[in-house]
Amino acid sequence: MSTDYNYDDKGQFFPYFILTLSGLVLVPLTYSTFAPSKRPGLSKIPLLKDSTYKPPNGDLIDAARRRQAKRERRLKRFTSIIVGWVLFAYMVYLIATAAENVEGKIWDPYDILGISTSASEKAIKSHYRKLSLKFHPDKIRPTENQTVDMLNLHFSELTKAYKALTDEEIRNNFVQFGHPDGKQAFSIGIALPVWIVSEGGSYYVLAVYGLLFGILLPYTVGRWWYGTKKHTRDGVLMESAGSLFRIYDENTDEKKLVSILTVGEEMKHVTGGKREKEWIGSEEATIERKIREAGVPERELAALQELDGWQRRACGLLWAYLYRVDLGSEKLENAKLDVAPAAVALNKSFHAISLAYSNTLPILASMSLNQSLVQAIAPDYSPLLQLPNFTNEIVAAVEQDGGKNHWTVQRFMACPDDKRRKLCVGQKLLSEKEYEQAIYFAKNLPALSIEDAFFKVMGEKYITPSSLVQFVVKCRIIPPGSKAPVIDPKDLLDEDPEETDVDALLGRKSSRPSQSKTGEEVPTTPLAHAPFYPRAYAPSWQILLADAKQAKMIVPPQAITSFEKSTDNFAVQTFKMQFQAPPQPGEYTFVMHCISDSYLGVDTRRSVKLVISDPSKVEKIIEEDEISEPDEDSIVGQMNAMRGGASVGKKKAVKSHDSSEEEESDTEGEQAVEESETDTDTDTDEE
Amino acid sequence: MNKLSLLAPLVYIAVLVGTLAVFSNLYRKRKASKAASLKPWFGPHYARDVYLTLLHQETSKVPDTILKAALLRRATEDIRRIIALRQAKGSLQQLLQRGSIGDDLWTRFTVAEAEIEEELRDVVLEANAFKEGWGNTIFQTANEMANAQRIRDRTDEVVEQAAAERAWWDEKRKRSERELLGESNSDEDGVLVEKR
Repeated sequence: MSTDYNYDDKGQFFPYFILTLSGLVLVPLTYSTFAPSKRPGLSKIPLLKDSTYKPPNGDLIDAARRRQAKRERRLKRFTSIIVGWVLFAYMVYLIATAAENVEGKIWDPYDILGISTSASEKAIKSHYRKLSLKFHPDKIRPTENQTVDMLNLHFSELTKAYKALTDEEIRNNFVQFGHPDGKQAFSIGIALPVWIVSEGGSYYVLAVYGLLFGILLPYTVGRWWYGTKKHTRDGVLMESAGSLFRIYDENTDEKKLVSILTVGEEMKHVTGGKREKEWIGSEEATIERKIREAGVPERELAALQELDGWQRRACGLLWAYLYRVDLGSEKLENAKLDVAPAAVALNKSFHAISLAYSNTLPILASMSLNQSLVQAIAPDYSPLLQLPNFTNEIVAAVEQDGGKNHWTVQRFMACPDDKRRKLCVGQKLLSEKEYEQAIYFAKNLPALSIEDAFFKVMGEKYITPSSLVQFVVKCRIIPPGSKAPVIDPKDLLDEDPEETDVDALLGRKSSRPSQSKTGEEVPTTPLAHAPFYPRAYAPSWQILLADAKQAKMIVPPQAITSFEKSTDNFAVQTFKMQFQAPPQPGEYTFVMHCISDSYLGVDTRRSVKLVISDPSKVEKIIEEDEISEPDEDSIVGQMNAMRGGASVGKKKAVKSHDSSEEEESDTEGEQAVEESETDTDTDTDEE
Repeated sequence: MNKLSLLAPLVYIAVLVGTLAVFSNLYRKRKASKAASLKPWFGPHYARDVYLTLLHQETSKVPDTILKAALLRRATEDIRRIIALRQAKGSLQQLLQRGSIGDDLWTRFTVAEAEIEEELRDVVLEANAFKEGWGNTIFQTANEMANAQRIRDRTDEVVEQAAAERAWWDEKRKRSERELLGESNSDEDGVLVEKR
């Protein structure tokens, strides 16, 4: 049989092969490229729909944004998709044209006779008779482009078809084997064109195989592997993360962090490495002179002067960016704009490192420096600089020597409009139009206001040691200058999900899918308004709990990137973070930090108290009123067993201990009851 | 023809084994050179260098007190290093697991750890050579010295900051005084006063 393989010498099946293969690759690739992003809340909508504000040197910033967009466009991917679809279409075309080819077409007697498949035998016979009169070679003469042979052939075809439909034996053959002459030779084909296996072509095929499996495959795999090993999870180069880890210091503040961030390799790509030769000494001097004039503190300048080469340049450029210094030449301006996104990326890595150390100071420093980098405002400078057209002079006029505690945008907007105008509109200050631009942004600034924050354990009244505590934060967005309505007290309660809602009980994120089920779309968070930052930036908030006395972080930050409800009408949003309660009963005071990563002056600090009750006391209270103890068979009971496994286990142990004591001596049991009574009494007194 | 068929598998095996051997050789060499070229965790250990130089002074005998002081300085530096390593270890492991840092850094860290172990042992031996039993207490002393130094650095910083703050507030007071007395001649203030 092996000698019977037919290669596809007419190029008949090969297109099918290519079509299938290319389809397998192209369809998923195209989908993944064009499908809308699944991440909820991620959008490309700017915060201000019709902003007319242009920062100084705005065209350069726009150009930098366009360059980045071009880089992100994935040109290679798009061209390969287009080429693939062209190939696909060509194969479809080949198949379509090949279908007209007689060879390989299914032999159909009805088609040849030109009658419908439902025709009766009688009708077939009469039709054949008519045709034979018309087409018999003896009856007609060949026209110009026909020969006698062709006429004979056509007539014999007709006869064959007729017999297939009338003669019993031939009809059987046709039904069984699809051909009136009986079983045909069975042929197996390989969907490869002949030229591939022909004498001369085989070497090329071998070469292609060798190239594919010997070079291309190891190369791509290697590139992917070393590519993943080159960058950390936070998206910076491994070397940068290593340098940042080495330079980490628990006394890092924002200003120190600026020079720390310049150790990253990403900075080298901007100001050194291959571009080392482009830099002239005088440019360095220019940068340093200008940032000195702009008011970079002496201590930071001294730190900068200890650096060398590309790092020194990067540090100078970063300070220039933060102080919004115009460096004069286009090249320096572009370098300044390249340094900022690199610093943000490195800061993310530094943030991850500081989280691992869990010292509060560097964590907060990296978070607030992120705000500074996105808004291009130097550390310790006024949040009012976020407002369009606001410069240091205008801020000074507004704050009127307010000391080192700068005005926030909220405070500025809390003033009545005429007072605001008096403060900042005028000669050498803002024009009327510039003032309007500033106020337009200020009224849209998404300032998060924390309305309530408390601890709870799901389904329990008291928080017992080592149980899984939920920290519930109720907040809403109140743009500065707007009057928020009074909150409905119901919104501030956090009710446990129903016992039948297993998903919610297990802590799965059921809130979002359920909302999408009801047809309500997850609202999208617009991009941050950052006119000086040469990238689009998606804002987020981080909530973390820290111990103020030890300056240590207790619960790592959780990011809020999108809101569950629309933020337009002061809707109260709920966020929860879970953590394990401390193993000892007592009162713990934490500081909750809620920090924006893109706007200054909207952070919240609040002291929260976590009360861990003694499990034995709680047990006695619960025994008093059996209602709050969930049935062990119920889902809530099982849930508790799963969640705060330790605490429930302890409680049960206590329970059994008590009961055994009761069995032994009645007096002790009575004592226990008395104690519990007193406990409940004191509790109600407190309330 | 017969000869070729016998030779073919031999050649095949030879080529296969040969390429693998060359690859593994190159790979290992590259890896070793990479490991050797890794930057050390800490910079140069000057205190140790000073001590050793003093100890091996040949022309003139260095008095014991100076040697002891140098050894204490060396121990202080060691303490500083070992505290840094101890603090870093937990976070480093955590970050390594999450993929926030690379393996290279971990290699550097383990090398530094092994190095400091050796260094500590050497210091203890040296201390015992001066006086039997000093090796047990030298690091306690060194730790106190390191702590004192840290506190001193912090106080210096605070003093520096205080001076800067003082200057700023003095200036502010002067400015507000001028403003209050209506003697301000500076431009920005002038505008404000006019508007009122």
